[in-house]
Amino acid sequence: MDIKRLLKDLTAATGIGNIKEATEVAAKYLSDFCEVSYTDNLGLIAEIKGKRDYSILFEAHIDQVGFIVTDVDDKGFLTVATCGGIDLRALPSRQVNIHGSKKVRGVFCSTPPHLSEDDVTFEKISDIKIDSCLGNKACEIISVGDYVTFATDICELKGNKVSAKSLDDRAGVAVLIELASRFKDKQPPVNLIFCLSDMEELGLRGAKTSAFAAFPNEAIAIDVSFADGPDIKPTECGKMGSGAMIGISPVLDRDITNKLISLAADNNIPYQTEVMGKTTGTDADIISITKSGIRTGLVSIPLRNMHTDCEIISLSDIKSVCDLLECYAEAVNLND
Amino acid sequence: MTELLKRLATLDGTSGDESAVKDFIVKEISPYCEYETDALGNIIAFKRGNKSPKKKIMLDAHMDEVGLIITSFTDDGFLRFKTIGGINTSALMFKRVKVGGSINGIISGKPIHLTSGDESKKLPKADELYIDIGAASKEEARSCVIEGDRAVMVSDFTENYDKIISKALDDRIGCAILIKLIKEYDDYDFTAVFSVQEEIGLRGARVAAFNVDPYAAIIIEGTTAADIADVPEDKSVCSLGDGAAVSFMDKATVYDREYYYAALNSGIAVQPKRAVAGGNNSGAVHLSRDGVRTIAVSVPCRYIHSSSSVADKHDIAAAYELCKYMINYIADD
Repeated sequence: MDIKRLLKDLTAATGIGNIKEATEVAAKYLSDFCEVSYTDNLGLIAEIKGKRDYSILFEAHIDQVGFIVTDVDDKGFLTVATCGGIDLRALPSRQVNIHGSKKVRGVFCSTPPHLSEDDVTFEKISDIKIDSCLGNKACEIISVGDYVTFATDICELKGNKVSAKSLDDRAGVAVLIELASRFKDKQPPVNLIFCLSDMEELGLRGAKTSAFAAFPNEAIAIDVSFADGPDIKPTECGKMGSGAMIGISPVLDRDITNKLISLAADNNIPYQTEVMGKTTGTDADIISITKSGIRTGLVSIPLRNMHTDCEIISLSDIKSVCDLLECYAEAVNLND
Repeated sequence: MTELLKRLATLDGTSGDESAVKDFIVKEISPYCEYETDALGNIIAFKRGNKSPKKKIMLDAHMDEVGLIITSFTDDGFLRFKTIGGINTSALMFKRVKVGGSINGIISGKPIHLTSGDESKKLPKADELYIDIGAASKEEARSCVIEGDRAVMVSDFTENYDKIISKALDDRIGCAILIKLIKEYDDYDFTAVFSVQEEIGLRGARVAAFNVDPYAAIIIEGTTAADIADVPEDKSVCSLGDGAAVSFMDKATVYDREYYYAALNSGIAVQPKRAVAGGNNSGAVHLSRDGVRTIAVSVPCRYIHSSSSVADKHDIAAAYELCKYMINYIADD
């Protein structure tokens, strides 16, 4: 599968609140390989039947960070609230798409250097407005409750990397689709369930209902995690291009984690470990305590500039994650 | 005019590296005028009109835009840079740039999740930021970028009804107006200067004005508009949609008072710039040789010097009309 094309399609689509474009794009891809069923408003479930009645859930979240309009003034300036964690420092002069009765381009207000001695920073999101560039027409097109998302397109970087908005977690969604495609012509030993959860950025909400609906025998969440950069302690991040980040945490199932590590090592798949002392901050936290409990693992893709409109990932890391999960899906019953 | 502006604004031309803009403009104007380029890269064009004014009139718009220059590399392949022209750090953080003409890069810094205490509330200094082009080592980075290469902001050119959102509206708006004047205005002769290096100290216009030796000058600029939410009216400087802005005084120039009044009374949509702030090529031009009578005709731009400045098409049209009016006014004097 052309991963770049897949990422382009997935990141260009919007997935926030009632806007489900991204789910639709992913469903179209997945329907080539799996049986797709929507669970409810909070997610999508697709399945490939295996030889045995045992199921592994592969989960990624489909939603993205963004904003929701809380006020429209008569000069066309919007007040918004955040949906997910946003770095307020970097908002001034950033372009956004405003999903009103039609989609319009807006800009976060900034004060130019000619007028401000120092850069202005903001205590809270309501301190910085969005210029809809619509003047007094804004009220006709934009309403309270409309969503606002970042506006950049995907671009290619050196070293087999790409930059785009929403790679958290469309990169994980791309992994699920690529993984499903690898079982197009071979039946897996067990049932593979692919789940795209909504509202992760608002507190792991969608995974709660979709893991309940799927109720697999075991689960692996696929998310992104912090990658290296200058000024970032190597102990606080993964290294971009160095492979799948296998999560180790008290909430994750140690057998699954160990199996991921040994499969990566045995098959020469690039990997690194990410050790956390508490919950992981990913959907794995909620999946593992669904119903009577689900043994859960976590594999992450190293990502830079998280929650900005220019997140960066390495395609080689995506490949490593896909290779590892393919091995895992095929090896699941070897020890039984 | 909007189509012309789009083509101009999407060209890359940081100060001292304006050749892409220069080449485009030369192609546009060459059928309509005589022109030469000077040692610094200024275009000096002479447009013959139906009549010759008694005294020489020069119009100026600058071709350069703010941007970055690459200074060094980190061992792990990130690029360090300095700014060219005044840019706020907030306009840089996590923004996409094009390095050395074709390499995509992201201006990055410490992610907010990994900051603590005061650090998460304040902006880093520009020299704490770096550009990530995806290279994993200094060698890989240096194979496609070298010290001194430029980085320019990347943004879509968007039209929202009457508004335009783009990088480099300062001063490709001026360039677009001046090109249109060369193509369509022919009452009087005038000299058009497309100048270099405005953003780093009005350097191109200084030598061009010396060379042209005009009696009067009209500087066409994009100027800062702060008519935005949470800024009190008296600090707004000028307002989008209220017409071309003319200045009585800024940080570099006290403008010719007669021309200032003439512009305000022209009957065209004109607003006074309500602050003594900023500066433009007038600062260099009005002090050229034994002095040049100077007026600046400005188009209000919100979020100037960022990748997303915003201007109003009506103001651009008004600035064009005001330039024509002022040439005639000065020529008939």
